[in-house]
Amino acid sequence: MTMVKANNVKKSFGTTEVLSGVSFEVQKGDVIAVIGPSGSGKSTMLRCLIDLEQVSDGSIFVENNPLVVDGVYSSGDERKTVTSKMGMVFQHFNLFPHLTVRQNLELAPKTVKKLPSAEIRNLSDMYLEKVGLLNKADSYPASLSGGQKQRVAIARALMMSPDVMLFDEPTSALDPELTGEVLATIKKLADERITMIVVTHEMGFAKEVANKVFFMDNGEFIEEGTPEQIFNTPTHDRTREFLNSILK
Amino acid sequence: MSLEYISKILPLLLKGAGTTLSLFFIVIVLAIPLGFIVTLLAKSKFPPLRWLSNTYIFVMRGTPLLLQLVFIFFGFPIIGIFLNNTFDAPMLANLFRLERFQAAVLGFTLNYAAYFAEIFRGGLLAIDKGQYEAAKVLGFSRYHTTTKIIFPQMIRVALPAVTNESITLIKDTALLYAVAVPELLHFAQAAVNRDFNLTPLFIAALIYLVLVFVLTIFFKWLEKRFRFQ
Ligand SMILES: Nc1ncnc2c1ncn2[C@@H]1O[C@H](COP(=O)(O)OP(=O)(O)O)[C@@H](O)[C@H]1O
Ligand SMILES: [Mg+2]
Repeated sequence: MTMVKANNVKKSFGTTEVLSGVSFEVQKGDVIAVIGPSGSGKSTMLRCLIDLEQVSDGSIFVENNPLVVDGVYSSGDERKTVTSKMGMVFQHFNLFPHLTVRQNLELAPKTVKKLPSAEIRNLSDMYLEKVGLLNKADSYPASLSGGQKQRVAIARALMMSPDVMLFDEPTSALDPELTGEVLATIKKLADERITMIVVTHEMGFAKEVANKVFFMDNGEFIEEGTPEQIFNTPTHDRTREFLNSILK
Repeated sequence: MSLEYISKILPLLLKGAGTTLSLFFIVIVLAIPLGFIVTLLAKSKFPPLRWLSNTYIFVMRGTPLLLQLVFIFFGFPIIGIFLNNTFDAPMLANLFRLERFQAAVLGFTLNYAAYFAEIFRGGLLAIDKGQYEAAKVLGFSRYHTTTKIIFPQMIRVALPAVTNESITLIKDTALLYAVAVPELLHFAQAAVNRDFNLTPLFIAALIYLVLVFVLTIFFKWLEKRFRFQ
């Protein structure tokens, strides 16, 4: 089943074209690693998928529901329905600093989905357990390490039961010794076949966890393939150059 | 400065302090939400609302509060508001005073709402745009984003400035003196004139200090609660 489909997506900020006709498909259970030089449009692509940025042209479908078709957006309600199928984890966590860890997890299911509180409590226990932070349930974000914050952010996104998870460089803001715990958490989700698109600079992670790698450069998807194909036998010069530059 | 004299004038001073406090609480309760609404209007997508809000803030902050009070007290009757407040109706004297108090509440609220609006605007600027993005991605409506996520964080940032403004308000209530609403300073001054004795002024000062002290303690406590740690 196709979870996300982008067709010829274009995006400009003013006169600068940041995405120049990006197309790809993500199947159920796919773990996609998106790699590419900084400034190539990876974040913008993710942000367009979940409606944080408006595309200039092209189409985006999530589970066959249109977010935008040939640059024309669906109605407000439809847009909300489409984006509600996805969860997003940001580079800088964006936890709510005025809420405890548990409240961070529970606020959206409570106010947006209006789930019964017993059910919400079960969910938050389950996800805090999963990310290994049940003992921090009553702490405020300010008292957590970066790695812990990001694990809370992952748990918070999971609370809304998304069908697709988007990660935008989830470990880039972390001290090197803290990236491991976050990557391990994401790997755990991958093992559960949760569909994910992960923008990352962690090539080891991309090799080990992703089943597909997209290489982006200059607002374009240059090539995609299995990690073996991309890392061992890239077909494009730009992919090769990029890999050489970062593996050096 | 006999104890006897103090006990004689204290009831009146306390009565004045009561007026001061009532005005303070009513104005705080009205001006803070009104200020927040003005802030939201200033951020509206509809330009006329923005202009309205910004003009309001400009005028209220750009002219003396005393001028605004005098305008309400002496200008409004001229344009036909408070017409039933005629001096030849002695039986309405109490009602008259009540309405003066209401006019004072109106003047102070309009003025302070503008200051609070500016404070809140600063508070909103301090909130990272990632907070709005996280809220949107989780599906929060604009209303819930504002009330559950933005507002509490804005309060934390704005709280020290709100404390300052509140202390200023306590002292500004003395402006009522100029429009003849009897409050703390009014009674103190009357006693000074009558008795040729400065004691009432010292007591009034002490009462202001106590009010400000209690207020400071309260806001310190509030700031602690909003520290989120
Ligand atoms: N809000 C914005 N306004 C203007 N330019 C932007 C904005 N966001 C991103 N860009 C530009 O778009 C390009 C792609 O950015 P981004 O998607 O963040 O790249 P990546 O995530 O691959 O590093 C960059 O040149 C960046 O400067
Ligand atoms: Mg980026």
